[in-house]
Amino acid sequence: MSVLDTTDVLDVAGYAAAVRRSLVDLGPELVDDLTDDLEADLAEALDDERHVAHGRGLLDQFGPPEAYAAELRAAAGLAPASTGARRVRVLSDPVEDTRRLGRWALRRLRALTWWAPVEAFLVALRPVWWIARGWVAYSALVYVLGGARLRFLPTELALWLILALCVLLSVQWGRGAWFQSRSVSWVAVLGNAAAVVLLLPVLVTVQDQSHQREEVYDSYLAGAFGGDGTRTILQEKAIDGVVVDGMQVSNLFIYDAEGNPLTDVQVYDDRGRPVRTTYDNGYEQYWFPEGTEPWSFVSRTDADGRARWNVYPLRGAPTSQFTYGDDGVQVLPIGTDASTPPWPFAKAPALDAPADASIGAEGVTPSATPTP
Amino acid sequence: MDTTQLLKGVLDLAVLAVVADEDGYGYDVVRRLRAAGIEEVGDASVYGTLRRLYSSGALTSYVVPSDEGPHRKYYGINAQGRAMLEAQRKDWQEFAGTMGRLLKTEVVR
Repeated sequence: MSVLDTTDVLDVAGYAAAVRRSLVDLGPELVDDLTDDLEADLAEALDDERHVAHGRGLLDQFGPPEAYAAELRAAAGLAPASTGARRVRVLSDPVEDTRRLGRWALRRLRALTWWAPVEAFLVALRPVWWIARGWVAYSALVYVLGGARLRFLPTELALWLILALCVLLSVQWGRGAWFQSRSVSWVAVLGNAAAVVLLLPVLVTVQDQSHQREEVYDSYLAGAFGGDGTRTILQEKAIDGVVVDGMQVSNLFIYDAEGNPLTDVQVYDDRGRPVRTTYDNGYEQYWFPEGTEPWSFVSRTDADGRARWNVYPLRGAPTSQFTYGDDGVQVLPIGTDASTPPWPFAKAPALDAPADASIGAEGVTPSATPTP
Repeated sequence: MDTTQLLKGVLDLAVLAVVADEDGYGYDVVRRLRAAGIEEVGDASVYGTLRRLYSSGALTSYVVPSDEGPHRKYYGINAQGRAMLEAQRKDWQEFAGTMGRLLKTEVVR
């Protein structure tokens, strides 16, 4: 037999598969027995110059595969296929049909040059599948029994034992050590198919449940369920606004050197950006210590007509006094003036010395400075 | 006349004779039948016949591994097959003689 063109081999494989399909009602063993060498015989006949109709295609030389199968069957002294019975048989034996389809597909793939290394790689990966199959079986078992929440790996000794047993069974079967007798092999085949089907749902469920678990654990750590009490929030980006002692403040109160309250003070940072305590443009409500109702703030307007939120103390009014404007914005009704929220104290401590360099030049400072 | 119809009755005999000569695999038997002048035999008929003769116990079978091509299933004749071959050969020769005489008289007349 000489080297064949790849397309010829493909044709031969397809033809042989069609012949086998026509014989499927005979059962796998008889079909294999009848068609053991079919590909080789077909290929050799195609190659033989003395063969009738040499040089023509498979169909020209051998006729339709169904006719070929019928001839084979008749010559072997086997009953011709009754189409009706065959239909029923094909439908009633999807396992054999699938297996045959798989064999046919494999035969076609093996005719491709790139397939050999891929198949070798996949074969090398088979033990991985055995373990995965065992794990899927374990997960499905735990899920059905409902004993524990699904996780990637068990947490209890008993569950570890079940997992080990499942992996042991799967690997031993994969190695061909157990479950090889015909009477039980269908159980193993069924198990394999179930593992393939269940792999994805089990992975999704486990992933989902592990995720939930992590969330619950996180909130436990964070003090939910009456745990530690303090909830710590970690954020990648700093909160915008002004924070004092870890707490965001809503308003700033400014006192001068003598400790007198100042109003309408504009505050900027070192880069000239307005320092804002609120970013809600007046939508939110703020509670003050010992206040009886929440307040909302209003902005000041600068000479150019722009809203300024960095003018302190922010003014506002109890939220109940606000109404909604036509554009849905919360506004104070005309006639109601914004007022300054309660000051924390009427007067702050005065500074020890006026921050005026000219005073020092006049010689007052040395006397005011306490000598250590 | 359609010789395939004639052949059906004696294909067993032809295949037995070829295999008795020398062991052979499927297509090898087809080729030797053709070389002997039986051109119109279908490949599948030969394979089916080999299989049937094997399962009836007239042939033995063994697989010959090959380094280059696929492994081939060889058929060889056994004692039962030889006995069958002898009996059928006798039947055929008697039948052929009868037919020969019959056809001869037809032609002469």
